[in-house]
Amino acid sequence: MSRRENSRQVAKNHVTRNTPQRHRHSKAGCVKILQRLSAYLDDELTADVCKEVRAHMGACPTCEIFLDSLRQTISLCRHFEASPLSPSKKLQLRREIQKAISRA
Amino acid sequence: MYHDNADRMYRFAQRLCGEEEDARDLVQETFLNAYRGLPQFRGDAQFSTWLYRIASRLCLAMRRRRKGEPEHELSIEQFIPTSDGELHLQIAADGLTPEQALANKQLRRALRHAIQELPAKYRLVLVLRDMEGLSAKEVGTVMGLNERAVKSRLHRARLFVRRELTARGIGAASLSAEKDA
Repeated sequence: MSRRENSRQVAKNHVTRNTPQRHRHSKAGCVKILQRLSAYLDDELTADVCKEVRAHMGACPTCEIFLDSLRQTISLCRHFEASPLSPSKKLQLRREIQKAISRA
Repeated sequence: MYHDNADRMYRFAQRLCGEEEDARDLVQETFLNAYRGLPQFRGDAQFSTWLYRIASRLCLAMRRRRKGEPEHELSIEQFIPTSDGELHLQIAADGLTPEQALANKQLRRALRHAIQELPAKYRLVLVLRDMEGLSAKEVGTVMGLNERAVKSRLHRARLFVRRELTARGIGAASLSAEKDA
């Protein structure tokens, strides 16, 4: 199983028990993991560090939920479409630029 | 130059500015600056990368001129999850694809708002990397940053947007309700 698949599996696991639970460890461990979550989701960590992140997720439901929501956030950003420039507006904008250039 | 890049730059400007009028102004200024600076373009980066760089600098300058624009640093510590868990964003659990989820107006509005609330230097990195699809190295070229700095800003920007979305309570239930309607 790839690292990406592994991290997805962690997220799936949390969905089945989506009631947040209280921490049973210090926040220092969470902060350390939190600093690495983007790198983890972007597959930029070494196998050892990935293992460390997964181990923490297994023991910390809050961080597990956090990881899943961060993944969803990134996915939403990647799929967020901007309105296209209509042909008429494109032409109008081009004319405005040409007019500004000729004035300069 | 305009014909090949206008659509890309307008999309980028819209994502950066949020408002259509601001986006049009940014595109216009970008092409004007590109036209004036064309003799200095050395061709050591892609032309589109050069345009992104011009637009990014203009965006930062525009934001600096505006009163009240938040331009503070984001620290990792401010994004530490609470012990109670603050998450309501459970899109995957309901089996919605990102496209289906983004069909929800409430979510689209919240996402747009969250991106606009980001300090400009973080917003630029997020838009270039996660929305325009540039690599971290390319974003570094555009922004004049090394990859490490790009990744650091990107992580903070993502954490900020995540927090904004969850704070607004965009839950799976409301997304599903709109989907089923």
